Amino acid sequence: MSHPPPSPIYTLRGAGGPLNSLHFRCYGEDAPLLFSGSGKGCIHIWNLNTRRTNKVIEGHSGSSIIWVCTKRSKDTLISQGRDMQICLWDLGEGRCDLLDSVWTGSVGFCQCSMLETSPISSLLAFAGQQTEEIKIIELPSKIQICTLMPVAKVGMVMCINLFQPDSCPGPLLLAGYEEGSLLLWDVTQQSILSQVKAHPDPVMCLTFDPTRLRGISGSSEKNLSSWKLDEKNNLQLQGGVTLANPGVSQLCIREDGKLLASAGWDSRVRVFGWKKLRPLAVLQYHTDMVLSVAFSDHQDPRQRLMAAGSKDQRISLWSLYNES
Amino acid sequence: MESVSDSDSVRLEVSACLRCLSSSDSSRNITVLQTLLSYLDEASHGAAQRAQFSRSHYSRTLRVLITTIEADWVHRLTARQREELWDALFLRGPPEQALLVLLEAIGELSPSTSLDHVVTITEKFLQDGRLTNLLWSYCVGSAQSDSPQLRETLLGRLSALPDIMANKLHHNISPLFLPQQYYPLLASAMLTALQRTCQALRDNINCSLAFVSQTLGKLCLQGHGLVLAAMAPRLSACTRSDMVWQRVCWKLFESIPQRSMECVLTALVPESLGRIVGNLVLRNKKAEFVITHKLLLLQYKYETGVLRTVLGYLAADRDRRPLLIQVLRCICQAWANPSAVKHTPMEQQLYVSKALLLSVSLLKDQELQDLRSELLQCLLGGMQSHLDSSVLRIRCVGMVVGECLSSRMDNADTKLKFEYEQDEETRELLSLMTPSGWCEPEPVDGKAHKNPLNQVSVLQHNIILTFIHKSSDDELTPYDMTEDQEVSQTSPPRYLRDCLESLMSSEDAMRVELSLKAADPLVRRNAFAAREISVQMSKVLLHMEDKYNIQGFLILRHAAMVALAVTDCIPVTQYLTTEFYSLNYSLRQRLDMLEVLVAAAQELSLPTTDKKNSSIISALDVAELPPFQGHDPVHWRQVVEKRIQSKTRRISKGASQPATAKATPNRYAPVAGYFFFPLLKNYDKPEVTFDLLGSDHLVLGRLIHSLGLFMHLAVNAPVVSPIMGSALLDFVWTVRYHTDQMVRRGVLFAVCSVFLSMPSQNLLLDLGDMLFETRTWLTDVAEGDPDADCRSLAVQSLVLLDKSLKKQLKDPQSPSLES
Repeated sequence: MSHPPPSPIYTLRGAGGPLNSLHFRCYGEDAPLLFSGSGKGCIHIWNLNTRRTNKVIEGHSGSSIIWVCTKRSKDTLISQGRDMQICLWDLGEGRCDLLDSVWTGSVGFCQCSMLETSPISSLLAFAGQQTEEIKIIELPSKIQICTLMPVAKVGMVMCINLFQPDSCPGPLLLAGYEEGSLLLWDVTQQSILSQVKAHPDPVMCLTFDPTRLRGISGSSEKNLSSWKLDEKNNLQLQGGVTLANPGVSQLCIREDGKLLASAGWDSRVRVFGWKKLRPLAVLQYHTDMVLSVAFSDHQDPRQRLMAAGSKDQRISLWSLYNES
Repeated sequence: MESVSDSDSVRLEVSACLRCLSSSDSSRNITVLQTLLSYLDEASHGAAQRAQFSRSHYSRTLRVLITTIEADWVHRLTARQREELWDALFLRGPPEQALLVLLEAIGELSPSTSLDHVVTITEKFLQDGRLTNLLWSYCVGSAQSDSPQLRETLLGRLSALPDIMANKLHHNISPLFLPQQYYPLLASAMLTALQRTCQALRDNINCSLAFVSQTLGKLCLQGHGLVLAAMAPRLSACTRSDMVWQRVCWKLFESIPQRSMECVLTALVPESLGRIVGNLVLRNKKAEFVITHKLLLLQYKYETGVLRTVLGYLAADRDRRPLLIQVLRCICQAWANPSAVKHTPMEQQLYVSKALLLSVSLLKDQELQDLRSELLQCLLGGMQSHLDSSVLRIRCVGMVVGECLSSRMDNADTKLKFEYEQDEETRELLSLMTPSGWCEPEPVDGKAHKNPLNQVSVLQHNIILTFIHKSSDDELTPYDMTEDQEVSQTSPPRYLRDCLESLMSSEDAMRVELSLKAADPLVRRNAFAAREISVQMSKVLLHMEDKYNIQGFLILRHAAMVALAVTDCIPVTQYLTTEFYSLNYSLRQRLDMLEVLVAAAQELSLPTTDKKNSSIISALDVAELPPFQGHDPVHWRQVVEKRIQSKTRRISKGASQPATAKATPNRYAPVAGYFFFPLLKNYDKPEVTFDLLGSDHLVLGRLIHSLGLFMHLAVNAPVVSPIMGSALLDFVWTVRYHTDQMVRRGVLFAVCSVFLSMPSQNLLLDLGDMLFETRTWLTDVAEGDPDADCRSLAVQSLVLLDKSLKKQLKDPQSPSLES
């Protein structure tokens, strides 16, 4: 007899808009924080001890925030909005000052991807002005490193993931396109290493596990497609999972590589074992599309949380499989 | 003249010897015994004298010996002398006489050393293979004294030897006399006699098998058919290639007496028949009757293998094939007979169906063409009567047989095709059409355990695999994911009236489905609103059709109607019970009404408290959910409970726990009559579309069953149950011998529930003389009903009735009797 599915341990209300992006910052001495980017253009910083907002940042002139992230080294917050700006914020010592901003020119919904190459510098990949274009810049200096334009017609870029594998000297970039293809780019060579047609519909989201060299992507249909990167940097499809209802907005793998969570358009969060993609739980709490899902980076594994943000303006927090 | 003097001299000498033995003078007795023994030896006397002695004086001699067994001189004999002289006289003479005298002596002697002595001789007699000699002497006709009486006695003794010995010796019996050893010994003796017969025939010596046949017949008649089963493999092996053996075998079975023919054949039938008995069926009327009629149409206890053997036997020979055709005609008639479908037990019908399929599968194409019209006739008639039956199993069998027959008869595409559920029975029936299973399975060894090494490595592999499996993400136990269903676009109705509206008039499949799903919970939640529209909604639901192929339509509709009947009991039951007898409903709808009424009555009769309590608890659980342990809400509660229990010290054990069963008002008792009595009216008024006592016996059976259920549920309603009970008994009285077994089952169920639910004091008072008529009817059913369920139900009701009456008679201070 299996247990009934768990309930959220608590929920955060008051974001005032659909929650497009969630990001935890729970390491270190400070109180654990959750950043959320809402469709109303607000970035909320939630204190997970008091379960209240520490601060609300409104920096994208009311346009929808599609991505929030923090840098590991400093108290720097990066946010991306539909106003074609990427903003860097300084949060140190209770400030919230705009440090810098980058104009992307992208009208799409593609979230940025950041790769910290050293304690001071990092690479940021984002969709460019042309629909297929991906640009990569180095961050403090804002120097453009390269522009990646596929020759073949694959449609608008939908999602990207920048990572540094052990086998290659330079970073690689995974990108999902409107036509359903996944492309693996070598950033230094600016060349396509591999291409695979993962979905018949646009690739809505993807996530990649650099230690196991496996990834998974979701689309507007019922299937999640899992794929693997072999030694020659070729993408190979590995099958996947079929969901009860179509549409996935975001996928997230827990840091220990055990769990995968999917944010479904059917207002359910599904949890899978990452190794075999075994379905583990279907979490039903939200009343509208779930748009974002994130795992916390607590140092103590027992405190780890999962957050799901939905179009119903609520964030639910869950404690799952934390025993070991 | 010489022979006369010869015989005289023998007679005189034997008489002298016997006199001598009878007197107590012991000195000469040893020489006397030697003299007597010499008559059994070939060397010392002429053939005529020996024959004279064996024929006329041997039995007498043995009897005298037995009478002197207690004499002093016998005791004085040394063991060796006794064995060589005394015992040898029994073991060397004509075996039939010796056996008779020995058994006679055993019967007369009381337990003593003498008895032991005689028993030892008998044992020796059997061990020395004297039985073979006995049988063989009858084969060659050398047995001298052959009167019918003697033969009959001998046969009786031979076949009942273990019984005779056991009666006398009780527990001290030697294992040789046990049936397990004796009958195989006898069987091997018979086989040896047959063997010798074969040899003799080859040497042109005439033999008679009559005695062996009679022995075999007698054995089978007395129920020792296993003897034959032990002989059959050997016979079968010997007759495989040897013509003489075959002839001997056929002769053996042909000379079996008429009255034991059936037993012999039934004992033989599980083995291979054809080679052993030959064309016995053609020559022996009794055998023909047994094989073609009794085994197939009258009895039905045999396995399918027996049927295969019998029909295969008939089909195997050109001369016997006409019999197969004749048998097939009979089986066809039996299968298609509508009265047989109604009145014979299910098992027999299955047996006949199997026989039909088997014999059809054995037909050649030419024969099939000749029989085509008859088979078609049988098929049509039989299908109709089978499909008319109200028992699912019979219908199923009918469908399978119909399919098989039609596919065998027509190569074109005019086959019948039915939809039925495949189960073991249908699969077995279907498998009968493939003509296989005649050959014995060859022993297949050497393959199975060919590669033990491989198996080990596979095992190891498995272990490793499971190990890996364990160490991966399977340590994470999944939660219940049954809730993960497809989400529909439209939202379910929130008000009962919306629900009703969309059920009545919506053309949108999704809306109708959602409304149907929402109906049951909506009705239960809004009891007040439901009371306003209950009858209307029941009407809509009753007439609703599954237009959109909704998954679980019947269940959903049923649940909604039950909810209505429970929430607003009286009007809805009134509506349903009146509609049950009105015009223009299909049988399905009428059955639905009954089902709804029954389910509602059941729900009403259950105590209500459980549900509320559990819902309160679950609400509490949600409210008091502690953070960070949310995945197992019940668990902590149990832990706390346990801790409290362990810390609490109890003074008395008695009322430590709060009583689990709380008294709640019975919701069914006040309304039981509304369910019950309207259904008793009008049943005998045939409508144009509904004739309960005529062809619609399916509904009648269900109606009576439902009434029985209402009665049973009223067990806690002592006010109405006596009235209901007597009304129900009155009602079922007219249909108690209905031809349909479903109706009879319903009737018996109803009677059972009457006896179960009525208070015992009312049984005698209210039912009175009806009880005794019911009793006789029940005993009649328990003995003679063809349906096994009916019989067991009748027995059950008898038991219930007796229990109830006994309780009443033992307990005269019952309140109702005083009043």
